[in-house]
This record gives sequence, C-alpha cells and structure tokens, in this order.
Amino acid sequence: MSVEQVPTSLRELLADIFEISAERVTPELSMGTLDSWDSFRHLQAILAIEGEYGVQFDPQRIPELTSVALLQAELVKMGAVL
Amino acid sequence: MQSDAERRELRRELRREIKDAAARQDAAGVVAGARRLMAESSKPADVAFCATAFAGIADALREQLGARRLKTYVVRSVTVEPMLASLAVEAVLANYLLDIEVGGYGSYADELLNADSSLAKFKPELVLILLDMEEIAGRLPEMCGDGAAAEVEREIEECVGRMAQLLRSYRAGSTARILLQGLVVPDCTSLGDVGEANLPHSLTNAMQGLNRGLAALCGSIADCVFFDVDRLAARAGRARWRDARMFLASRLAVAAEWFGTYARGLVRTFSTMFRAPRKVLCTDLDETLWGGVLGEDGPEGIATGSAFPGNCYLEYQKYLKQLSSRGILLAIVSKNNEADVREAFNVRAADLALGLDSFVALKINWNEKAESIREIARELSLGLDSFVFVDDNAVECEAVRRQLPEVAVVEAPAREPWRLVEVLSEQAFFDAAVVTGDDLRRVDEYRAQAKRAELASSMGSRDEFLSSLGIVCAFQSALDAPLARAVQLLAKTNQFNLTTRRRSATEVAEFAAAAGGQAVVVRVRDRFGDAGAVGLALARRQGDSCVIDSLLLSCRVIGRGIESALLAYVGQQALRSGAKRLVGEYIATKKNAPCAEFYFVHGFTRFVPPEEGSSESVFYELDLTSSAITSPKWICVEGK
Repeated sequence: MSVEQVPTSLRELLADIFEISAERVTPELSMGTLDSWDSFRHLQAILAIEGEYGVQFDPQRIPELTSVALLQAELVKMGAVL
Repeated sequence: MQSDAERRELRRELRREIKDAAARQDAAGVVAGARRLMAESSKPADVAFCATAFAGIADALREQLGARRLKTYVVRSVTVEPMLASLAVEAVLANYLLDIEVGGYGSYADELLNADSSLAKFKPELVLILLDMEEIAGRLPEMCGDGAAAEVEREIEECVGRMAQLLRSYRAGSTARILLQGLVVPDCTSLGDVGEANLPHSLTNAMQGLNRGLAALCGSIADCVFFDVDRLAARAGRARWRDARMFLASRLAVAAEWFGTYARGLVRTFSTMFRAPRKVLCTDLDETLWGGVLGEDGPEGIATGSAFPGNCYLEYQKYLKQLSSRGILLAIVSKNNEADVREAFNVRAADLALGLDSFVALKINWNEKAESIREIARELSLGLDSFVFVDDNAVECEAVRRQLPEVAVVEAPAREPWRLVEVLSEQAFFDAAVVTGDDLRRVDEYRAQAKRAELASSMGSRDEFLSSLGIVCAFQSALDAPLARAVQLLAKTNQFNLTTRRRSATEVAEFAAAAGGQAVVVRVRDRFGDAGAVGLALARRQGDSCVIDSLLLSCRVIGRGIESALLAYVGQQALRSGAKRLVGEYIATKKNAPCAEFYFVHGFTRFVPPEEGSSESVFYELDLTSSAITSPKWICVEGK
C-alpha cells in the first residue's frame, strides 16, 4: 500500500510526532516497525489525534491501535472528518 | 473569523517559515516563527514540530541567542512524557535549552534520598518534583470525608514533614535548583461545593493548607521554589484541568489542552532561580497612565478617577504603586510639555493613585523615547535589560523594540483600558520568589542617588565629594546578608562582576564553611541613605594562596571606592587565615568591562597558572607578605 491511502492531515501529524518524513507514513507503519514509536510516543500520538480531530478514544482501545491503518480505521468509525 | 481552511494554510505557512529558518540555522527566525505558530495553534502536532525544529538548532540557539543549557531531572509519580515537548518549546521561548531526564514512577523517594540514585548520578542543575496527591497526601481524601476530623491538621503537618525530609536530604548532597509542585485542589468531592466551602476540615481546606505548608517549606530551603499548579488549574477551570479518562487510564495529570499553560507555568516558576527580575517600569502618560491626550483635552479633560473609564487607568496606577512598594522603580517617558504634566498631577491629584514623587525619573519632552530610556539607564546606572516600557502607541513600541532590543516592551491596549492590568500581569519579567529588604529600600536609595549627584556637581574634587558623603562600610558573612540577598547579587550583577559566576545559595554556604574560605558581603550607608548589602566576595584556600572565586559590586555604588575596601577586607582575612598570596581572576563578558583593570590597579600582577582555569580567565596575584591593599581614606569601616 502507498502513502496516498493515508489522508494528508493524519500523515503530517504522525510525521511530526514520530519525527519522520511524511513519505514514511504508510498504512502499514506500526509500533513494531518504527523505533521511535514507543509507548510514550503512542500516547503522544493519541493526544495529538484527539486534539486535531476533536475526538476521544476509548482508553481500552488505545493500546490496540498500534498501526496507522488501525488508527485511521478507528477515526473513521468515530465519524472524524479526515 | 478565519475559516478552518485558512487557519490550516496559515499553520502550513508558519511551519514552512520555521523549516526554512532552521535550514539556515537562523535561531532568531525559528524562535519568532515558533512564537507565532504557538500563538496561532498549540496543537500537539505543532508543539512536536517546534520541539523538533529547536532540537535541530540547539547550538545556534546557544551561540546566537545565548540560550542557557540546563540539565534537568524530573522526579515524578505521574506520566509527564507527552508534555515534555511543550516543556522544551516553552523553555526555548524563554531562552533555556533543557536537557531532560525523567525518573521512575515509583522511585521518587529513593531518587531524592539515595546518594547513588539515577538522580544523583545525573548531576542536574534543575530538579522538577512533580508528584500527585496520592504520593504526597494519599490519606487526606478519606480523612476529609466528614469534613470535621481534627486529625487532618496533624496529617498535613506529617505530609509536609515527610516532604521536608526528602528535600533536605537531597539539598545536603546537591547544589541543583529545586522546583516543588503543589497540589491541585480536587474539583469533584463527596461533600459537594457547599460542604467543601463551609466545613472546617473539607478536602479543599486541607489541600489549600497543605499547599501553604509546602510553599513555606520551599521558602526555608536554599534554591528551592514552590510551583502553585492549583493557581493555573483554577485559572483554566479545575473541572477541565484534568481529563479523568486520561488520568485514570494513563496517569496523565493534566489534560492535553493545557500542556502549554502548564509548561509555561513551570518555566516561569523555575526562571526565578536563574534570572533576576527587571527593575524599572517606564510608562507613557496619554492613553496609558490616564485616558485621553493631555495636550488636547487639558488637565480636567483627561480620564482618571473613580468613574468609568477613568477607573481603568486608576487600576493601572494602583498596580504600578504596588510594584513600586516592592522595589520596582517607576519612570515617566512621555512626549508632552513638562509644565502641562506638572499641572495635571497637581490639579488631578485626588483622582490619581500616583504623584510625581512616585517616579524616580521623569523624561517629559519631545525626544525619541529610546533616547529617554537610555538616559534613565545612565542616570540610575542600570542595564537596559532591567527596563520595561509601557506605551499605547504601536509605532513608539516598535521604535523602542528596534533601537533597544534588551528592553521589554508592553503595548497598552488603548481601546480596552480595562485590560491594562491583565496585560501587564501576564508578563513574567517582575516575577520573584523572594523579596528582600534591599528590594524594599531600593526606591529610597535611588532617590538618595539623585541627591548625591546634585552634591557631586557642586563639589570641586572627587575626594572632597566622597569624603563629604560619610560612607560607612560594614562587612558580614554572606550567610547573614541574608543568604537570599547574597544569591540575588550573584544572579543579577553584570557590570562590576569579575567572574560572573551565578553561584547558588548552597555553593555560597560551602565557601563560608570551608577552612580558609570566605563568603563576605559588604553593606554600605552614607548620609543620604542605606544602600544595604551591595557587594560580595567568595574566596577559597588553595595551598598557601587565597583564591577569589567571585567579587562583585552592585552598579549603583560603583565609583566610591567600595570595591577597594572590599578587596582590602578579603586580603586582611586571607592574611589572618595564614595565606601568603592573594589570587584574583577576571573573565570578560559583554558587560563587565568596567572592572577589567580591577586587580591591576590594586597592585596585582598577571600570571599564567600551570594547569587550572578556563581559557577565558585572566589571573592576577599579589604577595600578601610584602604588599597590602589599602582601603580608601574616605570610607569608614565598621565591625572589624
């Protein structure tokens, strides 16, 4: 899959948080494949997404949303405008 | 109203600017861009972006803007990591570069008590202690359930006592500055709003009592400041300060939307331990100190007094009066006819909270305001970085900003005069955790200075003038100055400061305690007034030499021979303790040229030490067995 499948706003946001270039933010990018994506960065990403799209994640879901695809799907499910 | 799309575009544009400036290693450009981006949007992604940009130009920040690097250790019991980007950004905006290490969740007591802990090994210059209620006073919520239990008082005392033990133990082994965070008064409690307010031992009352106890504790420990996080939470709204979901799920004590506010509060609080507050406020008159334009409206037409809108200006005047009462000097910088202004202060005295005698300097003329501020700085012997300028006119503000970048400029909101006090109080430049007796005397002292200047111009020779002042110097231990004053002198003296080492209270105490060491403060008074503790010297014994680590004198008493008396005293004490040689050191800075020749003119000779000393240091020596430093004959030395 390619970067185009991740909306620009989400791509740029995650690039800022993980300190990587926006081109590297593909749907497959995950906690397992990116060194800088540790548990604290994960929390930071969650807070950034909540602030950006005005949503609140269910805390029980937060630890499960460990890839860009999963985050994106959860946002769509919550009705966020990406 | 801007549309979302427009705002997004503005954010993109600011980010591009920051990126370009960072690529050029243009520190001022990156900081200016970040300041605008943070004002526009402080969303976590933007904060992370700025933090990354700053991290990439750390050297440039230090070299171009003189940002101070601070090794900082965070002792915590809650999750702080997602907030660190905000802390880093706010720190850079206040010209600090934090090198942060975070401690473990449950190990705060061990970190503070154990000499081999990760905290001790890190050797920080700053420690932020951010604990939550559960750690400090976990039993209180239950004890306060009925709002009446008298043992609550004892529990509070014990909580403060435990914290005192931790802080004192850490203080004994470290010179780091300490910030201790207080507690946020919980918003939701079982007693409800009415019970919390009316019952003597409600949790609200207990938490406020505990915060007072912790603040008093910080005041009793050297280089320690209390961070009143509850004040910030109350301003933001306690109900929204903490996101219960995120606190309970991830132990995040502050909701993400307040990270910036919280980080700013932390920086503002610890800054008081590294930086001196500004000392002078220069205010404009028309549309600032009063409403209207004196030249057009006449003394009866200007707005001031108890009726709106005059009361907006009266509030501002009262605020200035309060600043003056704690030692901030007030000055008028106005384009007006001086005779008109004098008449206005006369005619409207009953409607003004300040008289002309509330101001230590009046620059009421048609000169450039930057020139007027420069003149005041010269007259008061103060650096321009001690000045604040308040004016409603955007053009005047910009002119001062450009010509005198060291001066802090506040643009008075002329169309919303009710916001004058708010705009001024938002600024950190008068922040101080300690107000000393010398601060309180400062206003009188500067008035005395003006009288001395008058006398000097009527006298013939310099010696004759100095003799007529009747100067008395008294020497005492820096520990009794009091110590807070000694540290304040070290922190803020720039011009007459031989080495400009910003020693902490703990370090001063070490000089005083060491065998053959000295930590001396000189107090000065003359027939016009008491200047208080104005000079300081720190020295240590090294073999048969006494080495002067620091020697400084407040700029307001330079030129009266007090520096010679201080050096003579240090020499005598050194001789008395058995030293044969006195060693002086000079480190040139942008500001301390006035004392470059100090040791040379007192008979010292230059030498190059075999190993020690940084490359900027110039060393001087004096053989105490063959020569002595003489104290000027016009100075009477007391308490030898």
